[in-house]
Amino acid sequence: MNGLEMTYPATRRSLPLWHMLSGSGKLALLILLLMAGVALAAPLLCRHSHRIASGPALAAPSLVHPMGTDELGVDLWAQIAYGARISLLVGAATALLAGVGGAAVGIVSGYQGGLADRLTMRLIDILLVLPDLPVMIVLAAFFGPSVTTIIVVLAAFSWTATARIIRSRVLILKERRYIKAAELYGAGTLYLLRRHFLPEIFPLAAVGMIRLAGRAIVAEAGLSFLGLGDPTSRSWGLIMHHALSFKGIYYTDFWKWWLVFPWLALTLVVTSLALLGRDLEKLADPRIGRS
Amino acid sequence: MTTKRLLLFSLLLFLVAACDREPSERPKAQDSTQKCGAAPLVIRLEGGDWGYPSPFAHYPRGPGGFKMALIFDSLLERDEKGLIPWLAEDYTIQENGLVYRFKIRKNVRWQDGKPLTPEDVAFSFKYADRHAATWSYIHESVQEVSADGDTVMVRLKEPLALMLDSLGRTRIIPKHIWEKVERPKEFTTPEATIGCGPYLLTEYSKEHGTYRFQANKDYWGPKPRIDSIEFVPVSEPILAYENGELDMIAVTPDLLPRFTADPANKIVRNPAFWGYRLLLNQKDLELLRDVRVRRALVYAINRSELVEKIERGAGVPGSLGILPPDHIMAVGDIRQYPFDPAAARTLLEEAGLHATGGEALRLLPSGEKVSMELLCSGQEVRMAELLRQWLAEVGIEITIRSVDGKTRDDRVRRQAYQLAIIGHGGWGGDAGYLVSHLVGDVFTQDASPSASGTAGLVNPELLGLLVQQNVEVDPEKRRQLIGEIQRKAAELVPEIPLYYTAGRTMYRPAKYDGWINMFDHHSLQHSKLSYLERTGPAAIRR
Amino acid sequence: MEMKATEQNRRRFFDYLFTLFIVVSLNFALPRLMPGDPFLYLSGDHGEEIARFSTDQIDAYRHQYGLDKPWPAQYAASLFALLRGDLGYSIYYNKEVSTILLNRLPWTLLLVLSAVFFSTVIGCLLGSLSASFRGKALDRLLYPLMIAVAEIPAFLLGLMLLFFLAAGLRLFPLSGAMTHFAGTAGFWHTFVDIAHHAFLPVLTLTMVRTGAMYLLARNAMTTVLARDYVRTARAKGLSTARILARHSLRNAMVPIVTRVFLSLGGLVGGAILVENVFAYPGLGRLMRESVLVHDYPMIQGIFLLVTGAVLSANFLADCIYRRLDPRIGLSTEVQP
Repeated sequence: MNGLEMTYPATRRSLPLWHMLSGSGKLALLILLLMAGVALAAPLLCRHSHRIASGPALAAPSLVHPMGTDELGVDLWAQIAYGARISLLVGAATALLAGVGGAAVGIVSGYQGGLADRLTMRLIDILLVLPDLPVMIVLAAFFGPSVTTIIVVLAAFSWTATARIIRSRVLILKERRYIKAAELYGAGTLYLLRRHFLPEIFPLAAVGMIRLAGRAIVAEAGLSFLGLGDPTSRSWGLIMHHALSFKGIYYTDFWKWWLVFPWLALTLVVTSLALLGRDLEKLADPRIGRS
Repeated sequence: MTTKRLLLFSLLLFLVAACDREPSERPKAQDSTQKCGAAPLVIRLEGGDWGYPSPFAHYPRGPGGFKMALIFDSLLERDEKGLIPWLAEDYTIQENGLVYRFKIRKNVRWQDGKPLTPEDVAFSFKYADRHAATWSYIHESVQEVSADGDTVMVRLKEPLALMLDSLGRTRIIPKHIWEKVERPKEFTTPEATIGCGPYLLTEYSKEHGTYRFQANKDYWGPKPRIDSIEFVPVSEPILAYENGELDMIAVTPDLLPRFTADPANKIVRNPAFWGYRLLLNQKDLELLRDVRVRRALVYAINRSELVEKIERGAGVPGSLGILPPDHIMAVGDIRQYPFDPAAARTLLEEAGLHATGGEALRLLPSGEKVSMELLCSGQEVRMAELLRQWLAEVGIEITIRSVDGKTRDDRVRRQAYQLAIIGHGGWGGDAGYLVSHLVGDVFTQDASPSASGTAGLVNPELLGLLVQQNVEVDPEKRRQLIGEIQRKAAELVPEIPLYYTAGRTMYRPAKYDGWINMFDHHSLQHSKLSYLERTGPAAIRR
Repeated sequence: MEMKATEQNRRRFFDYLFTLFIVVSLNFALPRLMPGDPFLYLSGDHGEEIARFSTDQIDAYRHQYGLDKPWPAQYAASLFALLRGDLGYSIYYNKEVSTILLNRLPWTLLLVLSAVFFSTVIGCLLGSLSASFRGKALDRLLYPLMIAVAEIPAFLLGLMLLFFLAAGLRLFPLSGAMTHFAGTAGFWHTFVDIAHHAFLPVLTLTMVRTGAMYLLARNAMTTVLARDYVRTARAKGLSTARILARHSLRNAMVPIVTRVFLSLGGLVGGAILVENVFAYPGLGRLMRESVLVHDYPMIQGIFLLVTGAVLSANFLADCIYRRLDPRIGLSTEVQP
């Protein structure tokens, strides 16, 4: 077992990431890169403004407006391209904040135990039992809705799941014989962390973070759907919110572009994230990868 | 090995399918009521919980009050043209509007069989004066009430022209039930919904949002035409209408083609009495004290396009005379403001706001950008975005600040805003509301600031007119004054009505065709006369 | 040893009590932090009527509900009332908070518990299946499918189901929890009717949750299956089903059980949107409405209910967790 683990990192280093991915993973990565590219190059890719009306209201997709226009006559393709910036930013920032924070808290509280653990668990309990949606409404009312507020609030509410699950894993790991043995032989905390805990925990944290990113994007869309997002941000969720609050949207043809394109963009990104997460999970946990 | 796997898999699949297949029988009990006897007429309308329909316990927002009004009558009722005598056969106004005398109808009975007396009426006024009823506006404004023979005399603390409307709409409650009640808002026993109106409450469920009203067989007045009215909650009214689960719905403009072709549907345009206005806080933003700047704002905002884009044409552009064109006292000969960005630019130049060196934004004499913060709630963001676009074109920068509805209301009341969009109904009501729209609470100390939010405009002439109409009890003279006020308001632009919504209501006349609009309200199903025969006091006025 | 165990239990009990206290205090403070006044109505929803209250009226009401008192006094009053089991009187709904909650609770429980049950069962089954067939066609088919289903926001999924199944195919009612005014049809009919109405919301919540449970179960099972003792069992020639049932499931249960209980709190949040889509008369709708109208006692009551439920769920999770992996209990004591 030890021997296997020793050889594995060598293979990992020798192969570029791309070749380690499965077909779906490659596709997912391509989609994500494409979206990121669209987000970055939005000003170059769009002929029309994403804020100001540039055509008739609710025009169907055409050569001039590849994705049609909304009820104010604003080009939807431009809105979606600029919206990618918001969604990707929210996803990445929240996942990073909550994933790293949650993992750190989980390891510390699981490994240290004692007072630190008790305090963390109480804090997690408090955060977990507070109904998040109303609290978000309150916070949004208090701080004013902005992308930063949404990222911070989402992160503040989503780190707990990662932390708890990682803590429970650390608690189990701590009981493993080889770790007890290593402790007996005088292994330092840092060594234990690096050699034994992190490799075991990384897959959980990575999957957790990828999921967090996806969920943060969905949560932002959900908040915007309720009309609590940043109204000036023009995120995908907000486009859908506007479309859905258009009365009788389902009985007209408008939803075929107004709702479907942002929905598609959102689903594509979120599913790609999940598929990529699967591959990363395989890469991160050598035993899963091989069996 | 593989066969075992397959077996296991199929077993799991079966389990999943079994779990997922909850009972899927269709309900058949739906139409059982309609088969028996001479088919009583049941009308189904869109429900939702709007509170227990007593005059105190229904919710402050939403149509709960109109359900309550089916059970409780008031002294005056409203038809298409104006107020009509109801529980009061007649009334006189004396001492320059300080004293009102109502002659109370005889032979009226409460729904529990006890007779209604002038004592009950007097009690109702005293009670509403002491306890704030949800939809009564006479709280703490009555000096003295007395019942004498068949008349009830109300003496006010000070004359107020719109008190006829307020007294007339106050619900009459039975003294023998309410005299022991100290906290009326919390009085929600079955007794709390005993009134003398045309319908009885027979079922109410708070959590489901259902109501059922049955015709009151012993009603004193015009016979109820519908045997029972049922309010049921639906999530997609249009589907429910198509399925025959609802008898009346609102239709949006884009759906009209779907229904107009079918003669079974009748579609009516609602009077435009629900509107959005742009508040200008002159106290906070010095710039707005210049009438040229305010006028420039009006010229710069394309109000017809707001209607086209936000309401898809189902609305009426705002009139700077405040009163919507459908209002019975609206006048047409007021200053008009067509969409004219050039005129706006000229006015802004005149006001000393110049854009230098090809810059898009204008600068104040002090060198700062001309920038305003626009407060709105999430629902009005689209509108705010359009305003920002238009104002940017004349060189004014707008920052949109969107908050939740309650926060917006709170900031508006505290006058912590520069520009604010606010939407509400009641634009068809007594023109007395002009006071709050035009001068805010500057006019009297206890004018309810909750009704206003306008920071107020200090113009002695306008103030004088408003004070005059406020106590003028002669209808014709008051109409003149109101007309004058509208002309003045259009000159001064204390606020900008953006537009009034004028949605469409659809129903099937073959099933029931008695629907009418009240003169001051926008919904067919809210008027009591919609449910009654048009005879006696409810007869159609020619 | 036993002494220590009881002492530890007592400590944990006080921990939960402390959490409860903090949460109750937050429940009191949070709604009041929102700007705005429960009696102030300046604007209505589109086309909706509002009652305007004058300053006098607002003051009278604030006095009646004790909102004119300073915060500490209100806080103390609400704590004492709570100790008596009195949740207060709803400002907006005009009824005792506890009555309203009791009337609404069964509907939400119906949705949430059915969804938890179905999603856990289906998710675990599919997850274990996927893990044991890892990399095979079945896994390749299930995995992306479940991910896709899990990632569609609940409200959109709900709307989709509403449109295809209820509106398009007319298989299910559009909204509500039961048929109203249908006369008395007997117990069985009522039961079928309620199940019929609950089907789509439950299906939505189940589908959304199944993905997460599936991923978790699959992950846990894969990890467990890769362990030495499972390989030993395999080497001994035990069948997959047996390995799954005997060895793996029990070990994979720890994160799954934790997750099931942890997810209870989140479900109410998810239910808010879904209940709104289907106009279902549960707590979620009540919560949205009372936040909207700033009904402090009502918000406090709902928060408290949800909080209490989640706290007890956590406590249960903790206990089960210890029973499934008894070593954990010992280790915390061994720790200095």
